[in-house]
Amino acid sequence: MNLTIKNLSVTYVSNEHMLLALERLCLELTPGKVTALVGESGSGKTTLGKAVMGLLPDYARLEGSVNLDNLELLSLPAPEMNNIRWSKISMLFQNGAESLNPVQRILDQVAEPLVQKQGCNRKDARIQTQKALEQMELDPGLGSRFPHQVSGGEIQRCLLAMALIMNPEIIILDEPTASLDSMNKAIIRRVILGAKNNGQAVLVITHDLDLARDTADEAVVLYLGQVMEVLPAGELFLSPRHPYTLALARSYPALDTHRDLGGIRGDAFYRMVHRHREENGNIRSHSHLIGPDQEHEHSHATPGGCLFVDRCTQAIPECREKEVALRKDDGHELRCVRGGIATLLRLKSISKSYAGKTAVHLVDLELKAGETFCLVGESGSGKTTLAMIGAALLEQDSGTLIYNQRDMDQWIRQDYLSLARQIGLVHQHPAQAVSHRFSVFEIVAEPLKIQGHYSRQEIQEKVLSSLKDVHLSTEPEFLRRYPHELNMGALQRICIARALVTGPSLLIADEPTSSLDPSVQAKVLKMILDLQIEKGLTMLFVTHDIGLARKIGDRIGVMLAGRMVESGSAAQILNKPAHPYTGLLMNGAGPRVHEGTVSLKPDPRKGCPFVPRCGRKRDLCVKDNPETRQTGQGAHFVRCHFPLI
Amino acid sequence: MRRTGPGSNLLAYALAALVMVHAGYLLPRMLPGDFVSAIYSSSHVTLSAAQEQELRSYYTAQDGFGRYLKDLVTLEWGYSYAFLSPISRLILQALPWTLLLMGSAHVLSMIAGFLAGVEAAWRRGSAAEKSGVGIMTVLQGIPEIGTGVILLMVFAFYLGWFPAVGGETAYAELSGLARFTDILKHLALPFTTLFLAYFPGNFLLTRASMVMILKKQYLETARAKGLPSVRVRYAHAARNALLPMVTRFGLRIAFMVTGALVIETIYSYPGLGTLLFNAISQRDLPLVQGIVLFSSLAILLINIALESAYGFLDPRVRHAS
Repeated sequence: MNLTIKNLSVTYVSNEHMLLALERLCLELTPGKVTALVGESGSGKTTLGKAVMGLLPDYARLEGSVNLDNLELLSLPAPEMNNIRWSKISMLFQNGAESLNPVQRILDQVAEPLVQKQGCNRKDARIQTQKALEQMELDPGLGSRFPHQVSGGEIQRCLLAMALIMNPEIIILDEPTASLDSMNKAIIRRVILGAKNNGQAVLVITHDLDLARDTADEAVVLYLGQVMEVLPAGELFLSPRHPYTLALARSYPALDTHRDLGGIRGDAFYRMVHRHREENGNIRSHSHLIGPDQEHEHSHATPGGCLFVDRCTQAIPECREKEVALRKDDGHELRCVRGGIATLLRLKSISKSYAGKTAVHLVDLELKAGETFCLVGESGSGKTTLAMIGAALLEQDSGTLIYNQRDMDQWIRQDYLSLARQIGLVHQHPAQAVSHRFSVFEIVAEPLKIQGHYSRQEIQEKVLSSLKDVHLSTEPEFLRRYPHELNMGALQRICIARALVTGPSLLIADEPTSSLDPSVQAKVLKMILDLQIEKGLTMLFVTHDIGLARKIGDRIGVMLAGRMVESGSAAQILNKPAHPYTGLLMNGAGPRVHEGTVSLKPDPRKGCPFVPRCGRKRDLCVKDNPETRQTGQGAHFVRCHFPLI
Repeated sequence: MRRTGPGSNLLAYALAALVMVHAGYLLPRMLPGDFVSAIYSSSHVTLSAAQEQELRSYYTAQDGFGRYLKDLVTLEWGYSYAFLSPISRLILQALPWTLLLMGSAHVLSMIAGFLAGVEAAWRRGSAAEKSGVGIMTVLQGIPEIGTGVILLMVFAFYLGWFPAVGGETAYAELSGLARFTDILKHLALPFTTLFLAYFPGNFLLTRASMVMILKKQYLETARAKGLPSVRVRYAHAARNALLPMVTRFGLRIAFMVTGALVIETIYSYPGLGTLLFNAISQRDLPLVQGIVLFSSLAILLINIALESAYGFLDPRVRHAS
């Protein structure tokens, strides 16, 4: 049986307030397919499940169609709908324990549909139920217990047995693994896959992205009642296209990601439509995105524009105005004005040499909006040079830079100031990065003064808010202090405040914490990460410390002798490095490191620069410098003839 | 919580009963002065010297609590000189009438109130439910003494449909069906009074707990299972609303004799209430004491029964104690 949901909209109506829970949602459940519906709470996931079951309260207004093999469920009379429930479509509700009647034995509750709906006699029903419970790997005696006598995991499995007891063709599971341990999760996962093989259609409503990836064929990403992206579930972590999907994946504590959890900036709990009767009798309706900020004016949603705009890291003015529909795009469906995650900065074939010595050689680099890209490598590998070229502080010998779809060289020539506003820079040594003749206020205010068009008032406000952002004092006394009166940690915070004062979208940080002691470093890093989420910054982070890159990087690029020898998602590189050099960096100064350091120097134009230290080198490596090629899964690139994977 | 068996519960009740009995034994002995003459001097009862002596010795005998207990068990509860009858016989004669009146009023108002409450909550928001709640709230505010007097005036004195006094027609010597209808006729007015007094509370309580239970998630599960509406309403919802009802019943029982006192007096119903009222007005202390002791022991027994019913109704209670 196919369940086809077309243009389903659900509005909860109470007087002039209307809560828009689902907007024109289309979904198809077919036999043998598992569909995962993911999204934050309040995105309308559960509403969808209940709408299909016909369990929404009276004040919910439904439009569109829910079709079960040409049977329109939304307009079905109540008794017929009651027949369909559980025999054709069953549902597992969230908050397991509360879904069971506390005064009835579990066996009776699980068997109830058989007795009541199928007319099965009690004895047969009990036997059948006992079997079903045992299939869930439950203790045979469990059925005769009451719900308060079994654990949360067991309850969830009982509920699952109950949902499957009539062998329905469509199964809706609402957060089946919420608050379960990994053992119980594994059982639930097996059951879902079993149902799939059994030819049942399964809708898994979940915020457990691991479960979605492992069981589902297709993932539907829902945000405030709108589908943002539909993608093959396997690509949830590897190649999401929508910024929201990326942010969700980044917030999920998956086992194989090392980066600190990101979260999504801002909050939006639900979408409310207000109707005002104006003086001339017309009714004006406008919608709000309700978050913790209860102020009426602040929560106004832009009519027509993208719903995610205020929390998105790559929003442009167009996102606010332009109506955006769900568009198909090879295997994905996407609702984004910018056509998915945008590239903020693109470096193409960048080369740079100092007095004949190559510092950077034909490097390509793409920074995606909202991500943290970590450039790692030993000193002298060209990391800083590349970063400074990206920051438009150094001119490259050859190659092009494109910032936000605009050629940077051209931009520099036309209007350098407006480009400078876009990029914030933090240097390695804070003490050398500030003038000792400037007070704190003057240091932070300088970029604004250079821009020239800010009033005194504006400068004052921006400086104070920037200092607040980096958790520094805004007392006048502090603003008058001079650098020599401050410690290193405070000074680096001031540099960060200065970098952020013009409201840039890209922050380039060159070893910003290497001159700080570990405890201060930890604090500053945490602050940078928080700022990144709150301000939606894209970050290029240069460091020689791969441990640090692991904590903050979404993607990592490994530099060696001016070349990018490996790049890819941080999880992939750190779990399975492909280049021996990366492996060496990760293992640190092991005993074998020093083996070849003094031996044969390869021709820089010919052989692989890692040959002297490489334990796996062969003749080919000395003669021929390898080209970049893809390896492993997804966008993982390496320059090695004999990569580790 | 420490696990305690049902045995220890019973022990606690036995202890409470013993304390009560002991208080009944001790109190008259602690009264200062000659309480026998104090009681009967202002009463119309005249005692012979021998009777006075017997009473005095009964209440001041120092031969101990043991004998008192033995007397209690063998129904030797003393003699009422006001009614010229053994106290135990007086109580046992009055008891069936009270049981009939109070029992039927409590049980029927509970069943009716419960069913009405369940259906009202199920139809929450409808006109019938809203007006029902309004009427019941008003009814609940009228004391039974008021309804009793009004019903007596209207149906017994003015319309003359029902007898005004007694539990059955005196000296009629009816038997079989005729006696049964006679008893029912006498029961009608006091029963209605009590029913009107108890029904609204039962209705409102059931409705309130049902409204809470209907919001529970297991009801959504029940509905999702596509069960017939009656099954959702009773097997899942009402079953859970039963518990507060039982609690209320237990609390009500404690006021059984006091409740009977008012209503039986109004209708001169020959139950324990009237007996108590008369005993008080005649200053027949031994009888008063007997009734009080008897009713408190009865309440204890009912509480024991209710407590086990609790465990039966809600497995969570059973496993918690």
